[in-house]
Amino acid sequence: MSLTTLSGISGLFAREMKKWFRQRVQIVFAFVIPLMWLTLFGKSFNIAYFLNLPEGIPPDVKAIVQKAMEEILLRVFGSLDYFNFFAVGMLSVFALFTSMWSGMSLVFDRRLGYLERFLVAPIPRESIYLAKVFSALAKGLIQFTIMLLITFALGLTPKQGFTAIDMMGLYMVIAGLILALSAIFTAIAIRITSHDTVISIANLVNIPLMFTSNAIFPLEQMPDWMRVIAAVNPLTHSITLTRYLVLGIGSQAQVILSTFYLAGFTAVCVFLGVAAARRYL
Amino acid sequence: MNIVETRNLSVVYKGGVRALDGLDLNVREGEIFCLVGPNGAGKTTTMRVLTTLLRPTGGWARVAGYDVVKEAGKVRKMIGYVPQNLSADDELTGMENMILQCRLYGIRGREARERSLRLLELVGLREAADRLVASYSGGMRRRLELAMGLVHTPRILFLDEPTLGLDVHSRVMIWEHIRRLNHEEKTTILFTTHYMDEADKISDRVAIIDHGKIVAMGRPEDLKSSIGGDVIKLKINGRINGILSGIDEIIKVDEIDGEYRVKVKNGEEALPRILRILEERGIKVVYASLVKPTLDQVFVEYTGREYREEEEHADVRVMTYVRERKR
Repeated sequence: MSLTTLSGISGLFAREMKKWFRQRVQIVFAFVIPLMWLTLFGKSFNIAYFLNLPEGIPPDVKAIVQKAMEEILLRVFGSLDYFNFFAVGMLSVFALFTSMWSGMSLVFDRRLGYLERFLVAPIPRESIYLAKVFSALAKGLIQFTIMLLITFALGLTPKQGFTAIDMMGLYMVIAGLILALSAIFTAIAIRITSHDTVISIANLVNIPLMFTSNAIFPLEQMPDWMRVIAAVNPLTHSITLTRYLVLGIGSQAQVILSTFYLAGFTAVCVFLGVAAARRYL
Repeated sequence: MNIVETRNLSVVYKGGVRALDGLDLNVREGEIFCLVGPNGAGKTTTMRVLTTLLRPTGGWARVAGYDVVKEAGKVRKMIGYVPQNLSADDELTGMENMILQCRLYGIRGREARERSLRLLELVGLREAADRLVASYSGGMRRRLELAMGLVHTPRILFLDEPTLGLDVHSRVMIWEHIRRLNHEEKTTILFTTHYMDEADKISDRVAIIDHGKIVAMGRPEDLKSSIGGDVIKLKINGRINGILSGIDEIIKVDEIDGEYRVKVKNGEEALPRILRILEERGIKVVYASLVKPTLDQVFVEYTGREYREEEEHADVRVMTYVRERKR
């Protein structure tokens, strides 16, 4: 990579970040939907309530039933508090919510004529694309940090012995996911000339991707056909890894599989995106 | 030396719109060259091909010695481009736009700052440097974009309709800057306009473009004298029918839209003689006017149509094709 290329990417990256920080209202509004999910859904679904057995059951029976139900909960959610299970899953879903808009700025640059000026400059075409993807990653990680603090404030309790290494791992997994998703959504936007199309695509993908992952319910209880979809859904693997890191849920085998899947998926997305930018931008 | 050269350049958009139809052009190093013609004639398309933004479907074009398709990267290093659409980011300040532009050309750090300040000073935007571009007037934006096109001291600067939508004062200012740039930095300027008077006043050479072809190219003075002198427009009650044949200055008599256009060598002397002869024959003259040659008439002469600056905005239509079909 030549010096001009690096200078071009860093210049375009700085532009994206400056513009983003200037839209303070928009940044704040980006947290409204995730907050609703966490508080309205996450906190209203209180599984502990279901464990309150009715009056009149003999104490010894009650203790056994209670024990059995806790076992079930631990098996299904890995935690007695459903909020833990849910909140960690949603951190990956929120990464999707922000990444799926990453193509928007490219579409606007094209419409407003800014893109033309970048295309006339002697920088490789893919540097324009990479600057967009990297800035989406930076924005995504900043938003993730704030979301993480919010989930802790709302009562997320990490596993015993949650370390700085786990925290670093968490950041790497989320960074990989954001990178992959931004690479796809920005690449899609290369040939799109209308922002309506971007909105349609974002609205089309968010619900299916969220529900065909293990964000809200565990994979094991899904019908077979849905598990097939979930197995290729990058959210599933990101969520598996983050739950392992934060809550200590999941098997070693699953973790290894998901690590390879997510790393490979991210590499393929960035590679294909760069190729598309070279050819079509 | 020709810094821009095209041969048989053609662009056919998807849908069959023929934007360029065998365009031959040559621009010499160091000159101010103008591509003038009605809206939709192919001016913007030509600019987009020469700046590597659009691949021609036929023919070839070389800029600074490099082929615009095969050596696009080298061409990009040599050229500056100020597109017709506003291209400075209005959510950034003038200075931030300049610095970004510098970075795109590999200029960084202190050098980028110094160069940006010098250029902003040059176009009179030093005071407004740290204001958001959204607060700039149309003329200020244009001047900023001009400065942005110059950060890497290009050998040739392409300006697409640089004065479109500007008031008279801003137009004059833009032209002052462009002339100075051409004079002091020896930068070749290639600009487009649909104002014939602008083309005439500012450029060393002009090419008149119509329906994707060059219909005439040369120095404005030469083009004007090539159509052979002045024109006297006459409206009379009656017909001329050869009664003016005695006057040697007359080159040609045409009748267009119920009006006579008498082409003469020396309009000032011919006009009174013509009027006298018509009077002697008892033909009433409704009006008579002497028109010194302009590029408008050159256009009429070469295309057989009146030149209208406010023709339908076909460029807008073409631009949507450009968006659909980039390559």
